[in-house]
Amino acid sequence: MKESLMDILCDPLDKSDLDLEVDERDGDEIIEGRLIGSVTGEVYPIEDGIPNLLPPDMRDDE
Amino acid sequence: MTDGSRDDLAARRGVERKVYSPAEDSGLLADAIAERGRGRLLEVGTGSGWVAERATAADAVTEVVASDRSPHACRAARERVTTGGGAGSGPSFGVVRADMVAPFADSVFDTVAFNPPYLPTDPENEWDDWMERALSGGESGRELIEPFVESVGRILAPDGVVLLLVSSLAGYDAVLEYAAGCGFDTDDPVVVEESYPFETLSVVALTPLSGKSDN
Repeated sequence: MKESLMDILCDPLDKSDLDLEVDERDGDEIIEGRLIGSVTGEVYPIEDGIPNLLPPDMRDDE
Repeated sequence: MTDGSRDDLAARRGVERKVYSPAEDSGLLADAIAERGRGRLLEVGTGSGWVAERATAADAVTEVVASDRSPHACRAARERVTTGGGAGSGPSFGVVRADMVAPFADSVFDTVAFNPPYLPTDPENEWDDWMERALSGGESGRELIEPFVESVGRILAPDGVVLLLVSSLAGYDAVLEYAAGCGFDTDDPVVVEESYPFETLSVVALTPLSGKSDN
């Protein structure tokens, strides 16, 4: 995901802001990392460039 | 339930097992986006990502975000982002795994497009896999359409537009009536329409009624 996507994403649980932590970057693309709910503290993984913003109770579905 | 009904449902739309492949309805939604899409566009339930990729070529569209609940769909769509001919040029194109519109901020999209799962299905014939979720609209055909129409207004810019694919199988009048009840202008909404032997597919443009009176 591009870092600019942060402007339009929010915590699905309470619509509050998310904080970004980056583990791996390719130019302006964030490949691995996580988004963290600034209020809820919920951690949403970014894997292979795809942020998984499903609420925790839906996340284990594969 | 038996594999028979699963195969029937899949065969009705000629689809693979996990990710919905582009079909007539996809082409119709892409045409409607080319005509009415603009600014920052979200495609909800992107499936293979084909419509979202087409949207990056629409003249008035400046940014495309594709979302899906399925990990298989997200990977398929992401593949188009990283290998697509327009990678690096054209509008930015991103993929987000999401439940409908839940992780998107208020009023940020100029266009929201959705080709919902709409095939009415018998509740006793549930097999609960990714292809069923890509096709089934529950008993009424509207089980995903209604929560979408209820929640999409929040993420839509005040002058934004929703482009919703509606099949006669899900009940055109019932969907439009529901949208009107959720505060959308539903006068003359049809952008594109095609009739097939078993259904008529329409893409309707829904705009928020904010500021206008109910009558």
